[in-house]
Amino acid sequence: MVFTDASMLITEACVKAGADVFIGYPITPSNRFYQYGTQRFPSFLAGPDEITVMQWMAGYSAAGKFPVSATAFPGLALMTEGLNMAYAMELPMLLILTQRLGPSTGSATTGAQGDLMFANGAISGHYPIPVFSHSEFEDSWDMTYEAIKTAIKFRTPVILLTSKELVMTNKSFDLSQLKEIKPVEKFSTKVEEPYKPYKTGKEMVPPYIPLGNDKYQVRVNASTHNDAGLIKKNDPESMANTRRLKEKFEKRIDEITFYDFDDQEGADKLIVTYGISADAARDAITELRDSGEKIALLIVKTMIPIPPKVMEIMDRFDSVIFVEENIGGIYKEIIYGKNAPIKVSTVNKIGSLISPSEIVKAVK
Amino acid sequence: MTKNKILSKVKMPFCQGCGHGIIVRSIAKAMEQLGYSNHDTIIVSDIGCSGLVDPLFDTHSIHGLHGRAPALGVGVSLGLDNPNKKVIVIQGDGGVTIGLQHVLEAARRNIDITLVVMNNLLYGMTGGQISGLSTQKFKEQRHFEVDVPPFDIVKLAHASGAAFSARATSIKTYTDILKDAIEVNGFSIVEFSSLCTSYAFKKLDELQEVFEEAEVYRNERIPVRAHHKKTKSLLNNLKIIEKEFDSKIEKRAGIVLAGSAGGGVQSAAKLLATTGMFSGLHSTMKGEYPVTVGTGFSIAEVILSTTPVKYTGLETPDVVIIVSDDGWNKIKGNIKENSTIILDNSLKNEETESLKNKVVFGDFNRAAGKRGAALAALAYWINDSGMMDIEALKKSVSSHKYSKVLLEAIEARLTVFI
Repeated sequence: MVFTDASMLITEACVKAGADVFIGYPITPSNRFYQYGTQRFPSFLAGPDEITVMQWMAGYSAAGKFPVSATAFPGLALMTEGLNMAYAMELPMLLILTQRLGPSTGSATTGAQGDLMFANGAISGHYPIPVFSHSEFEDSWDMTYEAIKTAIKFRTPVILLTSKELVMTNKSFDLSQLKEIKPVEKFSTKVEEPYKPYKTGKEMVPPYIPLGNDKYQVRVNASTHNDAGLIKKNDPESMANTRRLKEKFEKRIDEITFYDFDDQEGADKLIVTYGISADAARDAITELRDSGEKIALLIVKTMIPIPPKVMEIMDRFDSVIFVEENIGGIYKEIIYGKNAPIKVSTVNKIGSLISPSEIVKAVK
Repeated sequence: MTKNKILSKVKMPFCQGCGHGIIVRSIAKAMEQLGYSNHDTIIVSDIGCSGLVDPLFDTHSIHGLHGRAPALGVGVSLGLDNPNKKVIVIQGDGGVTIGLQHVLEAARRNIDITLVVMNNLLYGMTGGQISGLSTQKFKEQRHFEVDVPPFDIVKLAHASGAAFSARATSIKTYTDILKDAIEVNGFSIVEFSSLCTSYAFKKLDELQEVFEEAEVYRNERIPVRAHHKKTKSLLNNLKIIEKEFDSKIEKRAGIVLAGSAGGGVQSAAKLLATTGMFSGLHSTMKGEYPVTVGTGFSIAEVILSTTPVKYTGLETPDVVIIVSDDGWNKIKGNIKENSTIILDNSLKNEETESLKNKVVFGDFNRAAGKRGAALAALAYWINDSGMMDIEALKKSVSSHKYSKVLLEAIEARLTVFI
């Protein structure tokens, strides 16, 4: 056994998966990523602000290097401009978002699950930016790997949604539980000739070829562009290219669908949760079943886009209880809107962790 | 196909008489004369009239956001493996105004890019509004913000450390100045006066009258490039801890340690967690302290459990150890009735003596000093409760860099009067 934290496991998983550079701007509670990043990444840069961080990341990614950064909401707010740019350019990168209590600067050292709605709506036009969450240590490792694989496979920025209590709590842990991570192959080997930077086949993702290479002329563009990567508005090819940004995820959603579903025969109740609240839900489900309840647990890891399989599971139950550390239930609102069916209820709290006993009480 | 032709055959998209086209042609000419191929050249463009340049260059290109092109170009430059590639960033005076920080940062680091500023004194795409680089003489003609001087981007870049900064006002000098800038190893910036026939002047001499003087500055510096290092897994440095001692903890014990910043509370908590691991238990630990870490309270929560811990919160701690006023003041409103409270003697007062809990006082601060008090109190609890072997704590401390002092703190507990 070792005594470690998820910040270290996530940092390690990034580098093992082939991430090249950490570009940081310090913010609590993402501090440990910055600290470990300086020690572990092949390259490290200290950005002067989060706007610059996101631009440097995009530049690195366009040049063929995989960048990682970690921030919290105040940083994300500044990065959102550049995140939209990188999304439209289709540049792979990973942004670790450590949630803390808001609004605004809120409480820097208090955890929360308050940023999912923002992440869901971060891209103008409501194009989905993949948002993955994790809870247990094994999960932090696996989901980091999946996030980087997704970023490269779909040529997209990916957000790893975490929170203060997940990444700043030390735990005893058996490292042999971790799966092997191999460097992800970055560049496209099959390129259709003549090469056009944004021309895609049925995989719906353009080939990833770095700027400055000697074989192909690469054009990267954040404005509405055609297959050649040049600005072209009100043009069928450009519009198809824009629509594709959404369709590539919709058509291939099964490749990035991650969740843990702990079903129980005869269960008509379902607890739905993610991230830090999943830890308490795991304890609560044991207690509830010990007391004779028939209940299932769904821990969602692909938060955005919403996998149809996740909604199918929710549809099967007569009672669905969302457990989230925020007011009102953000994930619930993303799934059901403001008018959730009567079968849906929530367990919410801000300022401290939702405890297993609070979940048990709400279910009974 | 790799070729030494930088300019494409696309028609210039600019208004008739616009100065931007001449600058674009001069860039292509300079690159061609210096022998760069189209695959060696990466054009990074901004937003605005200057942002229409991508198709004009038959090269690599990346078109980003308003004001951000210099930062994007820095990322591209640092990300390239081949230092013989040339990154040319093009932006207007509006872009420089929005992204001033990016220009100064690139200059400060002396990143190997060439920034071309097409200064037409205004925002051409939105109706000719003035920018941070609009000169006072120009603004006098418009009777607007005449008392506000422009940023001198050439001097600012020079003061920030740019290897080369220049202003070019005469068309016949354009190509040569650009060649000087491009050949510089590091950050170079050239500000060009560019005619906007739609919103400013119809004639070049009218523009030149309101423009700043031509100038050239150099800083003898080598560029900052990306540092690459071979690193080792951080997990390799983690100490492997296996069970060596027994524990009497059944299921789960939660311990809260509270004291002052700099009082060794976090360190003692970590030692408690690893003591648990030496005793065959699973453990978790988290800290709470003000953002200003060097002052005020310091609190740590430790859970020791016979099974892996999922929920890491602590609703009712079994034991609360408090060794200073800061710790007591932070925690006193939240004492649960079933917790055993271990307090430093200095906290003996009406409030603490009226607690309904099981309360123990000890002279931890006096015996072990401010930095050792938390550990001494912990040692007392372990020994007194018999929950774990005191040798497990000593084992845990033995590999600590301050093990000698810490062992003294543990021994202090053994001699202190409770």
